[in-house]
Amino acid sequence: MTALLAAEIRRMTSRRLFRVVAALAVLAIVIASLIVALRSRSTSGIAGDRRFHLTALAVALEGTSPVLIIAAWLLGASFIGADWHAGTVTTLLTWEPRRLRVMMAKLAGCLTVVFLLVIAVQILLAGGLALAAAVRGTTEGVDVAWMRHTAGIALRVAVLSGVGSAIGFAIASVARNTAAALGVGFGYTVIVENLVRGLRPQWVPWLVGDNAVMFISGQSAGPSFHRTILQAGLLLVAYAVALLIVTAAVFRARDVT
Amino acid sequence: MAVIEIEGLRKQYRQLRGERTVALDGLDLFVPEGGVFGFLGPNGAGKTTTIRCLLGLVRPTRGACRLLGVDTGSDLSRVIRRVGTIVETPALYPRFSGRRNLELLGRLHGIGPKAVGDVLERVGLAERADHLVRTYSSGMRQRLGIGAALLKDPEVLILDEPANGLDPAGIKEVRDLLRRLGDEGRTVFVSSHILTEIQHTADRVAILSRGRSVAAGSVAQVLSAGRAQGVIVRLADLTDGVTALRSAGFEAVISNHDDIRVTMPPADAARVTRALADQGLYLTELRPDEADLETVFLELTNEAGRGGAQ
Repeated sequence: MTALLAAEIRRMTSRRLFRVVAALAVLAIVIASLIVALRSRSTSGIAGDRRFHLTALAVALEGTSPVLIIAAWLLGASFIGADWHAGTVTTLLTWEPRRLRVMMAKLAGCLTVVFLLVIAVQILLAGGLALAAAVRGTTEGVDVAWMRHTAGIALRVAVLSGVGSAIGFAIASVARNTAAALGVGFGYTVIVENLVRGLRPQWVPWLVGDNAVMFISGQSAGPSFHRTILQAGLLLVAYAVALLIVTAAVFRARDVT
Repeated sequence: MAVIEIEGLRKQYRQLRGERTVALDGLDLFVPEGGVFGFLGPNGAGKTTTIRCLLGLVRPTRGACRLLGVDTGSDLSRVIRRVGTIVETPALYPRFSGRRNLELLGRLHGIGPKAVGDVLERVGLAERADHLVRTYSSGMRQRLGIGAALLKDPEVLILDEPANGLDPAGIKEVRDLLRRLGDEGRTVFVSSHILTEIQHTADRVAILSRGRSVAAGSVAQVLSAGRAQGVIVRLADLTDGVTALRSAGFEAVISNHDDIRVTMPPADAARVTRALADQGLYLTELRPDEADLETVFLELTNEAGRGGAQ
C-alpha cells in the first residue's frame, strides 16, 4: 500500500496541471505582494503605513479560498479522469487487482498533495504579506489569538480544498471523465443552489455553498442558517464520504473496459 | 497442471437500450503449464473479454476462471506477482519516461531499478528509456508494454495482441522472444490475429468464434481437425485424371480448377502415381494437402458463424 501511495503521490506531483496550478499560485502571490508593497510606498513612502495591517491576512485567506477550492476540485477530478482517459487504470489493476486498495491509494495521494499544496500556497501568501507589512505596513494586532484564528482559517481552507478535491475525484471516477465532474460542479453551484434558494429556502442549511461559507468564515449565510463551524465542516465531510462510498462501490463492481 | 482453467464462461454486456450483447457464450479453455498457447479468433470473437475476465477486470455473467489455481474473481492478488500481462494497447503514463513508468510499477512488487534496466535492454528500449513515453512510436509503446509484462519475471504471460503496431522486424523479435520464454518453461498465453506467426510460435492453440471455443489442442491436431488427409495432384488433363483415379478406387475431386484433391494418407501417394501412369497420365506435381492455420481458422470460424446463424 505504501508503494502504491508513493507512486500515486509521485504521479500527482508530476502532472502538468498540478505544476501549472502551483506556478500560477506562486506568480499570483508574488504579484499581490509586490502590489501591496508598491502601493504602500506610493502613499506614504515611509515604514509603518498604518493602512496596511498584517491582520488583514485572515480576510485575504478567506478571499482566496474559493479559487483554491475550485483548483482543488479540478485537480481531484482530472487526476482520476486522466487515468480513465489514458487507460492506465487497467494497467495498474494488472499489478494490484484489489480495486479498493487502488482507489484508496489514488484518493489518498490526491488529497495529500492537494492539502499540502493549499497549505504551502497559504504560507507563501502569508509570508509575502508579512514581509510587505513588516517593511511598509504594520504588524500591530498580531498576537497569539490572531495567529490561532488565522491558522484556523488556513487549516479550514485546506480541509475544504481536500473535500472539494475528494468530491471532484468521486464524480470523475464514477463518470470516468474529468469534464463530467466539472460540468456537475458547475451545474450544481450555478443552477441547483440558486434554484433551491429561490424555491426551497428551508433547504438552504443543507447546501454545500452555504455550509462552505460558514466553515471558512464562521459567518452565517442567512437567518435560517444555524450551524456552527464544526457542524458545517462535518456536514461537508459527510457529503464527501457518502459520495466516496458510492464511488468505491461502483469502482468495485463495474467492468474495466 | 492447468495454468489457466476456464469453465462455462459467459459474459453479457447490457447496451443502453436494454439490449444485451453476448461476448462469451459458455467458453471452456484449459491451458497447460509451459510453452506457448495461441488464442485465436476473429474480431469480436471474445478474445479480449476472455483476457479481461482472467485478469479480474471484467466480471463474468456466469462461469469460472482460475489462474495458477486460484479463482480470479476473488483471489487474483495472491498470484498476480507471478503473472505478466498486456491487455490491448499498453497504457502507460505519457508524461513519464519509459524507465519511470516501469519503476513505478516495479515498486508495487519490490522490483528495483536494476531489473527495470535489464528489461528495457531486453525489449530494445535502453537508449530511449529516459525519454517521455508520449514521444514513443506505437511500436515502442508496445515494446514498453512487453517490458512491463516481463518485469515481474513471471511464470505466466498473458499477452493480448503483443505484436500490434510493430514493424516486421519487431514482429519477428516478439515471436522469437515468445518462443524463448515458452522454451524456458514459462506459460505464454497469447492472443493474436497474425495466424502465420502463431502457427510458427505456438505449441497449442484454441480458436474462438462467437464466444465459444471451436477447436483446441496442439497445432498439428487443430490443423487436421475436421479435414480428411489427402494429397494434391496436378497434371495436364484434370478430367481424365479424376476419371482414372476414381476408376482405381480413389476418392478424387477437382479443386481450385487447376488440381485434383485425393482423399488418402499422404504416405500412400505412390499408389496415385501408379494409378495415373497405368492410364498413360503423368503428373506434374504431387504433394500432401497441408492446411495452414489460416485456412483452418477461416473454415472453423465460418462454420461456427453459419451454425450461430441457423
